[in-house]
Amino acid sequence: MMKKFLIICTLTLMVSAPLFAEANPSRSKLGEKAFQHFENYCFDCHDGETTKGDLDLANLLQKDDFDGSLIFEHLITSRMPPKNKKQPRAEEKRLMLSWLAQRQTESAPNSYRRISRHEFVHSVNDLLGVKLDLAGMIPEDRGTYNFDSDRRVQLTKEMLTSYFSVADEMLEFALPEKGFAQERILVTNRIKDSHKTYNIYTQKYKEGILFSWTRANNGNSYSFFYDNFDPPVRGWYDLTFDAMKLGSFKEDVSIQVFAGKYYYADDRPQQQRLLGVISLGNRDVKSHTVRAFLHPGENVSVHCYSKYTFRKKTGEQGAYIKQLKVRGPVLDEWLPSSYRNIFDGLPMNAPPRVARNTSVSLTKLKAIGGSISVSSFQKGMEKEKMQDGSNRTFWHTRFKPTLAKPPHYVILENSKGKEIEGLSYATWSGGNGNGQVKAYSIHLSDEGKSWGPPILEGKLEIGLANEQSILFPKPTTKRFIKFLVTDALSLDGKSLASIGKLDVMTTLPRPVSTIEVSVASSSPKDLKKVIKRFAQKAFSSNLSEEELAPYYGVSLNSLKEQGDFVMAAKVGLKAIVCSHRFLMAPGEHANRSYLMAADLSRILWLSIPDEELLSLSKTEKLSAQTIPAQIERMLKDEKSRRMIHSFCAQWLNLRSFNKVTPSLKLYPLYDDLMNHYLPLETEDYLNHLIQENLPVGHLIDSDFSFLNQRLAQHYGIEGVIGQQMRKVTFAPEVPRGGLLTMGSVLKVTADGFDTSPILRGAWVSKNIAGNTLSPPPESVKAIEPEHGKEAATIREQIEQHKNNKVCYACHKSIDPYGFALENFDATGQWRSKYRVKKPHNGTFQFRLQGYHILAGDVDAVGEIDKSKFEDVFGFKKILLSDHKKVAYNFAKKFFEYANGYQPNLKQRLHLHAMISENAQECRMKDLIVKVLGYSLRGE
Amino acid sequence: MRTISRKDFLKIGAALPLAMKSLSLRAEGRRKQPPKRIIFINSCLGFYEPYFFPKKQGDFSTSDYLKGMKTKGKMTVFQNLFHPGMDTSNHDSEKSFLTGTPSPESPNFVNDISLDQVLVRKMGGETRFPFLNFSIYDRGWGCSWNDRGSAIPPMHDEEKIFGMLFGEEDLKAKKQQLKNDQEILSCLHRDLAQLRKRGSEHGKLDSYQPVIAELELQLNHEKFWLNTSKPKVEKSLSDDQEFVFSTKIRNLFELAKLAFRTDSTRVMTISMDWIYGAIKVPGATGGWHTLSHHGGRKDVIAKLSHIEIDTLKHFNQFLFELDQIKEEGGTLLDHTTVMMGSNFGDSSNHTCNNLPMIVAGGGYRHQTHTVLEKQTPLCNLYLELLHKHNIDVGSFGSSEEDMGLLNS
Repeated sequence: MMKKFLIICTLTLMVSAPLFAEANPSRSKLGEKAFQHFENYCFDCHDGETTKGDLDLANLLQKDDFDGSLIFEHLITSRMPPKNKKQPRAEEKRLMLSWLAQRQTESAPNSYRRISRHEFVHSVNDLLGVKLDLAGMIPEDRGTYNFDSDRRVQLTKEMLTSYFSVADEMLEFALPEKGFAQERILVTNRIKDSHKTYNIYTQKYKEGILFSWTRANNGNSYSFFYDNFDPPVRGWYDLTFDAMKLGSFKEDVSIQVFAGKYYYADDRPQQQRLLGVISLGNRDVKSHTVRAFLHPGENVSVHCYSKYTFRKKTGEQGAYIKQLKVRGPVLDEWLPSSYRNIFDGLPMNAPPRVARNTSVSLTKLKAIGGSISVSSFQKGMEKEKMQDGSNRTFWHTRFKPTLAKPPHYVILENSKGKEIEGLSYATWSGGNGNGQVKAYSIHLSDEGKSWGPPILEGKLEIGLANEQSILFPKPTTKRFIKFLVTDALSLDGKSLASIGKLDVMTTLPRPVSTIEVSVASSSPKDLKKVIKRFAQKAFSSNLSEEELAPYYGVSLNSLKEQGDFVMAAKVGLKAIVCSHRFLMAPGEHANRSYLMAADLSRILWLSIPDEELLSLSKTEKLSAQTIPAQIERMLKDEKSRRMIHSFCAQWLNLRSFNKVTPSLKLYPLYDDLMNHYLPLETEDYLNHLIQENLPVGHLIDSDFSFLNQRLAQHYGIEGVIGQQMRKVTFAPEVPRGGLLTMGSVLKVTADGFDTSPILRGAWVSKNIAGNTLSPPPESVKAIEPEHGKEAATIREQIEQHKNNKVCYACHKSIDPYGFALENFDATGQWRSKYRVKKPHNGTFQFRLQGYHILAGDVDAVGEIDKSKFEDVFGFKKILLSDHKKVAYNFAKKFFEYANGYQPNLKQRLHLHAMISENAQECRMKDLIVKVLGYSLRGE
Repeated sequence: MRTISRKDFLKIGAALPLAMKSLSLRAEGRRKQPPKRIIFINSCLGFYEPYFFPKKQGDFSTSDYLKGMKTKGKMTVFQNLFHPGMDTSNHDSEKSFLTGTPSPESPNFVNDISLDQVLVRKMGGETRFPFLNFSIYDRGWGCSWNDRGSAIPPMHDEEKIFGMLFGEEDLKAKKQQLKNDQEILSCLHRDLAQLRKRGSEHGKLDSYQPVIAELELQLNHEKFWLNTSKPKVEKSLSDDQEFVFSTKIRNLFELAKLAFRTDSTRVMTISMDWIYGAIKVPGATGGWHTLSHHGGRKDVIAKLSHIEIDTLKHFNQFLFELDQIKEEGGTLLDHTTVMMGSNFGDSSNHTCNNLPMIVAGGGYRHQTHTVLEKQTPLCNLYLELLHKHNIDVGSFGSSEEDMGLLNS
């Protein structure tokens, strides 16, 4: 073996080529020296005789072509040679690394990338001066990779198609063809009725309603829907709750405000969006406003929570909401910023836009001018009770003083002949159910006298408060519809009928009054100005006449053909945001400053450059000297939170955070508030580390985090009142601090039931600790342990890895990382014993204590690189002892986030060189500035 | 101002005749021969082998999973098919399910065109939608890959799919929009030409150019179809919220059936991607992926099998319903090749040998259960499917030969 190498060396000496410039670096002087170092430090364990880890380095290094990245990573992160072996000097190590980097043949990534769907939406929002979250309309665009910007993913026709339609939607929202909807104010203190078992958790109180908390029997957070409010158009609405807290406990009561569809008041899961959380600590009524984007068809609901009011039927405890005021759609200013942005400098006209009071129609029948008549009624239970929006009040056939004889029926008069698709029925809720309709038939008539044969006969469910739809075979415009009761529940054998709600199903015309903004121009010159200004911002460049021509041309064409100035502008703007100059980065830039401005703003803001960056670029003033100050300024801007959010989504996979719902049997206390706040903790924390330029060690451990009342409860920390996030300092015995022990990371690395030390360990090891792992070898029997009644079994199962050399080579860098975190369950809560699910009897009923038993003790002991640890405290110490590894990993991840590809070995050498030996000097913002500066130089 | 270039004209010209022919046939009221359709389904965590393959060759009653199939006479289970080059591919093997491209796990992997997309070239011109591809959730990739090896993002929202297939459109607005979009595409072409002349980076322009060219074709296609109203069907999607996963699978099959029945498309793929986290099906709740690593434990396999049984239940129903729809010379199933399988043979151990593969329908003389020689390239079957659909190619992926497994 050595003989062969010597021959190669002799050859090399003969040609004596310069360092770093050879076709085959293994034959260089550098190669010779590096090889000697490898021989000195590595071959003891990794040569043809002792192939530890199945690696014969002596043989491998002489090959012309091999992947040296794993060796490189092990060497640069000092994982190899092992601590107890002879270590290369810094200079020697650098040489070995350089040689590996030199000879690594990596296929260069594409010199360009597409912008991600998130970057697209943010950029267009900023260009238009609107705030629309439409990224979900564009298909997930990162392929199988972790980072959204991955250069391997190429633009497809399907992506471009969705860009076209999202651009249409955003332009229509910014410059609506038929004007902006009138602003309305609706004040209400009523909620829709709900299932009788939930009605007991709300009570009429003073002028409004007192809510106590409940979770439905199946564990879903039951929400109470407000009135019949339905947003007339999509847009931003201010939801102002006049509310206060009731109860003598210290903690705030939270009101979670949701948008969702009111299907019916059953306890089925309902898809809802959390709009915001109101933290009620005030003991007198105050206004709390949530600004939310709502779509037509969505209703607003609230869910009130405090651990002291769980299913409290009586007593004055909970959230008292006096009223809800809905105002909207709101615009920040009038004229709207979209018009100001796009048509700046042109005369614009619009009548004033003043908010007007409005009310909602209780039933559709009333809205179409219809009326109702009945066969008979009991006093106090008149026909109007079916039409008052409540199913706690109801119509009942007469039973006093005399019993009304069948037939019992309701006739709905559709006096204007609207198209009726069917009926919507609900039983009355809260009573004994007497008279609930079991079967019916529907008859139609032109004049209300002669009725044909039934067009429909059917059955209805009793004992449910949900609205039940009765869909006609085909829509009818007949004037009279008879709902004939053919069978009803009778507790006493008498012939009765009762109905909580009855309404028609029909599509209501939406008379949305709008206010149009007009731009008083039709001149091509003005149009050109508009297009040019927009294009220069979008493209981050100065544009010549020639460059502008296609975009101006397509607008002008439309202006000529259709004569509408704003429409014509929209065509041009759409072309701009769908062009390759906009969708592909780098675009086409007039100088390097513009290019760097575009890069910086895409990385830090996921958007386009602002005025300052553009004006610096115009005079080519962006340089190595001015960039750090610009990064500093850009980080201070609110828009940098997008980068934090996006980076967390990609690096820490927080985008998958909500994909798993923890088991209600094991983790009954986990709720929507946790889903909302856990990722925020991580974002707030990372943002703080960057803004305050704290040492990178904080990624692993610190004595603080950002918490609120709910998270503090989850972590078992006392004295945090209120749901606003704030910095909380931990006592030394608290096992939190750093990313590893955050609920977000712990939850996203578990499947909602159990934790797997292997899966969580591999993830943490790779993504946070910065180890490089190779994929599992082929056809190895995988161990996927499960927590049984005996906790010992899990360790026993996994420790099998130790018995197999091939497995252990990697698993020694996986399993301990998982075991160290075994004290944290699948929701990130501390545990010292495992929980094992218990079966429930009959239908699952939610209960606070869940369904589980405590099994064996958690054993979080482990060993990393010959250092033993007892628990997560010791584990963190070991990770912290090597701050360079943590920093190097972060730098690599940020590089990949910023550039859309993993740094190659040469680039990694540069990144590594940025990291200070002194842990205190190695700081987050500094590192980001350096990584970005290096990326922008494009080396 | 606006002129149609010769190139544009040729493109429009190329797309139209097929569609014209199709329309005139529709006008005749009946066609002589019902069209051929094809659908590929990948269940990416596979099926537990001992329950899937018949224990006794050729006898479905010895397969726990397949014994209840209602269209037994019209299906064949293939044993021992595989894609070479997937030894260390793990989950990445999913990318190559319909392409057969080896080493999908390598960092610089570039995929090839998928089988369905090759078929689309031949079979896609005559319908409103040249092809459809579905997935369970918004993951951005599934079974279908274009000729540049890029994933074609599948649709996953049932409501949206239904609306696209059968929903009414504001024709006037749509017409105006198509016109605007076509103008925008010409504008983008002009800019690209300008940049090319100025020597802007070619790689970038080259990756954008074909995309707008394809969109241009699509717009022409859409414009043509504006003249024909969409078929009307009754909405038959389930909104059962209790078993969301199960509902999803059912609905995607339902949409596939409707799309074929109305001849809205002739080529489809469904990717049953691995759902992250726990799913609930009748009889079991659990992390699909976690369960798939059953390690041979009986209780875990029992849970996993509930998920697989649920999937196959919907598949069974899908075949059955296709077979209930009468067409000239047989049933819809007889004119639809249905291929269902997985990129994993044994997902517990991440092996990609002995893939569970079913071919149903298509009017073939089915063999019930065909046990092939070990390690027979799946691409042999793919090649045969291409031939069966009149695409005369010598090879596809790792194919060695058309083995004549499916005789008509």
